[in-house]
Amino acid sequence: MIAQPTGIRNRELALLILALLLGSGALALVAVARDQRELGEAVPMMALLAVFYVAAHILMRRFAAQADPLMLPLAAVLNALGLAAIYRLSPEKLGPAQVTWTLVGVAFFVATVLLIRDYTVLARYKYILGFVGVGLLLLPLAPEIGETVNGARLWVDLGPLQFQPGELAKICLVIFFAAYLAERKELLAIASRRVAGLHFPDIKHFGPLLVMWGLSLCVMFFEKDLGSSLLFFSIFLVMLYVATARIAYLAIGTLLFVGGAYLGYQAFSHVQSRVQVWLDVFNPDYIQAEGYQLSQSLFALATGGLFGTGWGRGRPDLIPEAPTDFIFSVIGEELGLLGTAAVLVCFMLIVARGLRTALRTRDDFGQLLAAGLIAIFAIQTIIIIGGVTRALPLTGITLPFMSYGGSSLLSNFILIALLIRISHQTAAAPDPARTAEILIGGRS
Amino acid sequence: MPEIVLDLLKFLFLGILYIFIARAVRVIALELKGTDAAPTPARAPAPQKRTKKKAPTKAVIVQGDKKGKTLNLDQELIIGRGDKAGLVLDDTYVSTVHARIFAKGDTYMLEDLGSTNGTYLNRQRVTSQIELQRGDQVKIGKTVLEMRR
Repeated sequence: MIAQPTGIRNRELALLILALLLGSGALALVAVARDQRELGEAVPMMALLAVFYVAAHILMRRFAAQADPLMLPLAAVLNALGLAAIYRLSPEKLGPAQVTWTLVGVAFFVATVLLIRDYTVLARYKYILGFVGVGLLLLPLAPEIGETVNGARLWVDLGPLQFQPGELAKICLVIFFAAYLAERKELLAIASRRVAGLHFPDIKHFGPLLVMWGLSLCVMFFEKDLGSSLLFFSIFLVMLYVATARIAYLAIGTLLFVGGAYLGYQAFSHVQSRVQVWLDVFNPDYIQAEGYQLSQSLFALATGGLFGTGWGRGRPDLIPEAPTDFIFSVIGEELGLLGTAAVLVCFMLIVARGLRTALRTRDDFGQLLAAGLIAIFAIQTIIIIGGVTRALPLTGITLPFMSYGGSSLLSNFILIALLIRISHQTAAAPDPARTAEILIGGRS
Repeated sequence: MPEIVLDLLKFLFLGILYIFIARAVRVIALELKGTDAAPTPARAPAPQKRTKKKAPTKAVIVQGDKKGKTLNLDQELIIGRGDKAGLVLDDTYVSTVHARIFAKGDTYMLEDLGSTNGTYLNRQRVTSQIELQRGDQVKIGKTVLEMRR
């Protein structure tokens, strides 16, 4: 709390350097194990990456001196591990592309920290951002530009540029939800009835929840993307609960979710096969077909054991979609349980820091924004890691900072930049109760 | 390269990965310690000696959203977040009925009405009714009131 800003930033720099060392070390180990000459070109790329990260750190010293010191290094270490895994799988094509995307991502991170000097300004543009969010979400449905990849209509193809607008839509929508709920939380929290021990708000206050439910069902039915659909609805539910503290919303929301999931299960054969694979993955009837991905993922995790095979010495290339959905299993095969546990701890630390930022922020909008942003991050991580380890039915979604994919990297760097902005602003303007406490030397 | 070297390098890598995590956790630990060691008495001025006995007649808001507003102390003044307060402060750190300032004989008294985050007179938390003097500063949430003649 009273730690000097330079002290905070020095700790950040030390961690960041360690993270970049880990990244370079991972790439070097891949090179040594695979005896690949192509990795020679990874060296200047890694150096450039280090320069970008350190530049971001230096700018934070100047413009966000009081910000959380852990978020950037943690994001960097996850990003570096993912990068090494992608390089290992595809040194010619996806590896260099991911480096480029990371550079663009760090540039977006810096731009967000520099441009959004006061996050409360975002609340003013809530309706614009809300419409942009819904527009981006539904953009892949547009004829001509929308594109279907692997059965899900998630991509937009604008000639030279292809992207997944849903990734950016998440952030726009969270800003909108935060501003909307901050304004209306008292109203929505009014409980007029008591049913079965729960305080129930008026029927009309369930309107926003139903609208969001409809929107997620749209995403599920028209874009056939279960992961995103689940993500959008759960973010709204989490934020509604954070704003109102009414368990009734959670209860009704869960019922709606179960209803939607059942509808999806009845309507789509691919949902049924996902559930079937989840329940009985090694069934010989489909282990070579629908169950192939997930069983390969589990074999990879099993091969890894406790310490893993070591970088570049396993066969994670056998898993389909390894660089995107199954990046976690690649880490599991080559770094073992210890490696995946470390990755999980890093994700948990980021989430913990995000929640801490939300708790320390004083204004309702900032609190809800931080909580919502970190909720996307956490829910997305849970959905995909649960999916590839067979804890949950598999739905294709990216693992933040690690999976291959430009849209995902960019939106996650923007997300972390917003959290860093909020944490800086909160620390720079401490709340009066705490100040008073410090001045008089503890609560009497 | 021989397998054994690659294995050693693998363990080295995992080791450094965990050193990274340990250092990250240490940053959190240091932070928690920093908060516990909160007192910085160097910056807190010694409590004013309460010798001059001059009663104020009005209160001026010198800090907070309603900065510059002047309040008369003729009537009992209730400060809080609720509508019934004489001075309504829209601040989450202010209780619905937070504190009151009222006349007692020739003097004015300050009383905390069981607020959650406390009322501070010259940076000391108010626990009982206390007499106000000119120049006193009363802090409630984000707002600071100064007593003037």
